[in-house]
Amino acid sequence: MIELTQIVKRYQQHEVLRGVSLTVADGEVCVLLGPSGGGKSTLLRTINGLESFDSGSIRVSDILLNAAAGPEREAALLQIRRRVGMVFQQFNLFPHRSVLENVTEAPIHVLKQPRDVAVQNARDILARVGMAEKEHARPGSLSGGQQQRVAIARTLAMKPEAILFDEPTSALDPRTTAEVISVMTDLAASGQRMIVVTHAMSFARTVAHRIHILHAGRIAESGPPEQIFGDPQEAVTREFLSEAAS
Amino acid sequence: MFGNRQPAFLPLLCLLATCFTSPLNAVADEGVDKIRQRGTLIWGADQEGGGPFIYPDPSNPEQLIGFEVELAQLIAEHFGVKPVFFQGQWDKLPDLLDRGDIDLVLNGYEWTSNRAARYGVSIPYYIFELQLLGRLADDSLKSWDDLLTPINGRKRKVSLLGGSAAQDYIERFGGEDIEVALFEGATDAMDATELALSGIDANLQDLPIWLFYGKGFPQLRPIGAPVGRGYYVAMTRKVDQDLLRAVNEILLAALQDGRLHRIFAKYGIWNETQMFRGLETDESGSSVGIPDPAAANSETDDATEVYQPSGGWEVVRKRGGLLVKSAGMTVLLSVTSMPIAVLIGLLVALTRLYGPWYLGKPAAIYVEIVRGTPLVLQLYLIYFLVPKLLDILFPGMELTINAFAAAVIGLAMNYSAYEAEIYRGGIQSIPRGQMEAAISLGMSRSLALRRVIIPQATRLVLPPMTNDFIALFKDTAVCSVITVVELSKQYYIQARSAGAIVELGLLTALLYLAMSYPLSVLTNRMEKNLNLERRG
Repeated sequence: MIELTQIVKRYQQHEVLRGVSLTVADGEVCVLLGPSGGGKSTLLRTINGLESFDSGSIRVSDILLNAAAGPEREAALLQIRRRVGMVFQQFNLFPHRSVLENVTEAPIHVLKQPRDVAVQNARDILARVGMAEKEHARPGSLSGGQQQRVAIARTLAMKPEAILFDEPTSALDPRTTAEVISVMTDLAASGQRMIVVTHAMSFARTVAHRIHILHAGRIAESGPPEQIFGDPQEAVTREFLSEAAS
Repeated sequence: MFGNRQPAFLPLLCLLATCFTSPLNAVADEGVDKIRQRGTLIWGADQEGGGPFIYPDPSNPEQLIGFEVELAQLIAEHFGVKPVFFQGQWDKLPDLLDRGDIDLVLNGYEWTSNRAARYGVSIPYYIFELQLLGRLADDSLKSWDDLLTPINGRKRKVSLLGGSAAQDYIERFGGEDIEVALFEGATDAMDATELALSGIDANLQDLPIWLFYGKGFPQLRPIGAPVGRGYYVAMTRKVDQDLLRAVNEILLAALQDGRLHRIFAKYGIWNETQMFRGLETDESGSSVGIPDPAAANSETDDATEVYQPSGGWEVVRKRGGLLVKSAGMTVLLSVTSMPIAVLIGLLVALTRLYGPWYLGKPAAIYVEIVRGTPLVLQLYLIYFLVPKLLDILFPGMELTINAFAAAVIGLAMNYSAYEAEIYRGGIQSIPRGQMEAAISLGMSRSLALRRVIIPQATRLVLPPMTNDFIALFKDTAVCSVITVVELSKQYYIQARSAGAIVELGLLTALLYLAMSYPLSVLTNRMEKNLNLERRG
């Protein structure tokens, strides 16, 4: 269970998050939608501490993350980051390591897995995302879609309780977007809990269990895809959906 | 007399030096005991000054000869010990006394009241004069007075050793009416005069140097009688009064029984002037420097050790080995100090980037101070002042720092500042997403640095680092100021004593090139690889 309670974040005077609360149950696929500047990415990044917040709290299973900086927060973050993976818009693969090494890096050096175990596990995961052939390639020689699939594999190797996806297909062309969406859909089907910030409406419509519309730092509307796409309750939602469709 | 670089920061050094003078002056009259216990008399000189003082034996360049070598032998024999030569930069020899590295300075140091106030100065062992030299073919210069006459509308130009008695003399004699050209080597100044380089008309030279080297300069001739008498004295620490008194007794005895005469005659520098002596000393044994003319002795002698200019492959064959050996020191200095510089630089860069402000600020200040001051000053401070500081902090423990260690520390410290800035730039140029991805995988910041950021930054900084290594490699030459004899110092020593500036210069350049060229090739290759990788 991931639980965000009344998260507030300010950049100087500007409030980007104005008291956001949401809960993601085990096995749930949660999609954050909304216009640019609504605070989706910022909210996602507070969960694993890439962004700080000014008040509120985040609970990931039994770990509590508070706003106050300090060693306690750092310790909580280290725990959370081992359990919650992240996939970035720009992939952020390690360019100096091969595909396989990208995937084994954290299991070996963070989880202290024996190398052969980590390598075997990494090969299985790479096969699952369709990248087994490329294990010796350098990230720089791969297409964007291939890189993103490796990035997902890298996260999966940590056996995360949840994965945060920060606009995973925004840097990709339509064809490679499809590759990545298909991998993410398979993951969701296998029961992987995910929180996804995306503009890929078809993914939200077909895969999400629950959708939150973030607008001006608040959750404007929450609900299952049938409600959000079929019977939006809020004007903000309707406006966003019509703009996204055009 | 010899090479005397007078850097602009000398006043600062003098000031610093005076702050640290007292603690070593604690116990007096132990000098001779110490020498006897040790079994060696350690005397300091600079071989680069050349003949007839101290220079590599032309027939066996590993062996040092010269009248000062024989004087040191004479003094050591009296104590029943072995003379041990200690190489130092000429103008830094008194500092070596202060450091306690040597017992005695014996290297053409002229008596001055300043020196007599600060050090124990012996009675003169040689009385020198200055000889004006002109070109045989130049009829316009026949007397000292001609020097004051402009020729073709320009002032006469005289070549001199910087900081020498000759420079003082010319300035007193001609003032604004004579132009001077300063050189660092006595033979360089004579060379330039013989070749009339940059309009030089004449050279004012220490007479013993002219007497010794004159045969090598057939186009030069003496003009007028020698002038400007001065006194070469041996120097001891002020506290070693017993040593000073003993040196005085030995010199006096050697003067009276003719041993001094024989030594000087061997090098062709005995003359009647040697009989005119000021032998009065104060109660501490220091010469008071008042000349006391005595009877002249008109004996003539045939010199056996004379300068024969040499050149060509013979010189390279004979002395090349020494240069190659010293190139080893250059390599050793470089490969020892660079890794330390890299390590310190990395720590400083990481502290500046990720450390708390109370560490980051000092790290930034460290970089600015080290980058903003010359290496030669840093070496000087480490070698000469740190031991004094240690003596104040830990009195009686006799902590010191040897020349090689000081050179390595100085080079490593100096280059660490440059490396720190290179690494800081390299680390900052790694996209922020790399650190985010690493910590999102549960890595701590330090693990992320070690595994992700630094390996990537290293590839970026390798080419500029290799460039710095080449620069450091050449900067090792500066270490000669703190008595380390590396390739370029050895070159000056050998070239000036053999007069083979070109041949040995080419060999030295070749040696430097042979060592640095592979590094350049390596840098180019790394840059090419990096570009390929970036293109992906």
